[in-house]
Amino acid sequence: MKRVQFEHSAVPYLFIAPQILIISIFFLWPAAQAVYQSFLLEDAFGMSSQFVWFRNFEDVLSSASWSRSAIFTVIFSVLVAVISIAISLFLAVRADEVIRGAKSYRTLLMWGYAIAPPVAGLLGNMMFNPLMGDLYKAFNSFGFEFNHIQNANDAAFVVILIAVWKQVSVNFIFFLSGLQGIPKSVQEAATLDCKSAERRFWTITFPLLAPTTFFLLVINLTYAFFETFGIIDVSTKGSPGGATATLVYKVYVDGFIGADLGGSSAQSVLLMIMVSVLTVFQFRFIERKVHY
Amino acid sequence: MATVTLNQAEKTYPNGFKAIHGIDLAIEDGEFTVLVGPSGCGKSTLLRMIAGLESISSGEISIDGKVVNKVAPADRDIAMVFQNYALYPHMNNFDNMAYGLRNRGYSKADIESKVREAARILQLEDHLDRKPRQLSGGQRQRVAMGRAIVRQPKVFLFDEPLSNLDAKLRVDMRLEIKNLQQRLGITSVYVTHDQVEAMTLADRLIVMNGGIAEQIGTPIDIYEKPATRFVAGFIGSPAMNFLDGVISDDGKHVTVGDGVMLDIDHNIAGGRAVVAGIRPEHLSIAQAGQGTINATVRMVESLGAETLVYLDFGSKADNVTLRLQGTHNFSKNDALGLTVPADKIHLFDTESGKRL
Repeated sequence: MKRVQFEHSAVPYLFIAPQILIISIFFLWPAAQAVYQSFLLEDAFGMSSQFVWFRNFEDVLSSASWSRSAIFTVIFSVLVAVISIAISLFLAVRADEVIRGAKSYRTLLMWGYAIAPPVAGLLGNMMFNPLMGDLYKAFNSFGFEFNHIQNANDAAFVVILIAVWKQVSVNFIFFLSGLQGIPKSVQEAATLDCKSAERRFWTITFPLLAPTTFFLLVINLTYAFFETFGIIDVSTKGSPGGATATLVYKVYVDGFIGADLGGSSAQSVLLMIMVSVLTVFQFRFIERKVHY
Repeated sequence: MATVTLNQAEKTYPNGFKAIHGIDLAIEDGEFTVLVGPSGCGKSTLLRMIAGLESISSGEISIDGKVVNKVAPADRDIAMVFQNYALYPHMNNFDNMAYGLRNRGYSKADIESKVREAARILQLEDHLDRKPRQLSGGQRQRVAMGRAIVRQPKVFLFDEPLSNLDAKLRVDMRLEIKNLQQRLGITSVYVTHDQVEAMTLADRLIVMNGGIAEQIGTPIDIYEKPATRFVAGFIGSPAMNFLDGVISDDGKHVTVGDGVMLDIDHNIAGGRAVVAGIRPEHLSIAQAGQGTINATVRMVESLGAETLVYLDFGSKADNVTLRLQGTHNFSKNDALGLTVPADKIHLFDTESGKRL
């Protein structure tokens, strides 16, 4: 008879201990701190604090600037994810068809991956600088009255453009490998069955890339939610008037610049909840449709 | 129902490699043609050129009298069965078969009846709602066949369709393909490296080597009169025995090994260096001491229905294979005397390998 073992040696725990330690120090502890602080009201100098239950949350949820930031974040994230996925899918399909010099094309398209978000933000900032920015001048010379310093839509355009540009190379790599994972003979069978290349793409290639696309959708939404912080901080800093401040950026501004630790913690807790809900939603409802 | 004609068809890859060297071929309506050859001989490339998956560098390919060099694969009215099935993994088996019909604008009712009919022929009726990955290899290959037959194309192209199946299933599917092709009467081109498939399926066999059609003929023609040493060695299993030899001065014998004289039935000037080819099944054991070839047993393989004996012959230790019906008891180093009828000796030119 097989005896069920409950006693194990300590060795496996030793192996995972460093990872657990890192997660605890850099993730669990700060997260717990955020939850704790979201219930506190602190004076501006950090001298005293008071337990206020859900007042911080009430304040946040009733504040117009938070709802505006939340709406902007959703629109921004969806646009960044959809546009960067669409562009990189197009580029990957094209690059996959290239026969001569394929490697150079691919390397060039992947280069952007090596750029850190703040650097991308800096590049964008320079290109849209009203004094010397080439793109700023180009848009205005075409007759657009482009002014991202004052116009909220223009500012949003700048942030989205930089964020998309930064993300395209990442998506490109995944799509290219996804495309190369589709058996060549399946593509060939499709060329015998269907004359129109466009129709073939939508009926064969795209459905077979669905798992990749879903994965990238999750990655890109997370990217747009969190990692674009650096881009926004270096380019628009949330201006004009907080119109381009995503929720993460607002947490930073309210907490570290506005010194409202309680309110900022409440915002980050809300952010955590939103992201968890989003993740559950994605896996439950979308993933079910993409597997074959 | 169509003919396929190749006129000096050539394929040169961009890197300069010439995969197909000018092939001429006329496949008749309803004929089952098999391309056979070792890997890298260009047989798949040739098939893919007919399909339109590879461009034609020079020469012409016509289907039913119409040159198709520039015609898109989907417009050539051909259907192809791939080695790894190439089913669309995200579609169920019904949709896999219906896909080509839908793209050609058939009506819903038409598609339904055609797919059901194909499924009935291939015994797939119970599996239409399933995805390809839920089927076994043999069933998948049937779906792939179904996808080909629903369209009732002018030409069937098969690219080693049975290579991924296990041995028993391969035999079953081979018979099924032959049956189906005869019933539907559709012109077929079939690529394989398996000579049993080639011999059993083909109305006409094309043996390819290095991008050249070495010989084109019926399977039996090729077996009995191989045009080159390559064909002789490739068709037939176990492979033909080759012995270097010289034609005797009177032209009636060929001297092989350490001066063993074999009677020949050819008309060749004496003194010429040749390669004598003898199929293992044409050698027989003579009475003790009477055989013309004296060889010693190196290894015996008993297959039940037949016995393969590998022998060393002459001081150069040429290898000779002997194929006998039934079971026999030989042990290593037994000496055997072998005979061969004069008309079963094939002679090839030493230099060119051509049949003499």
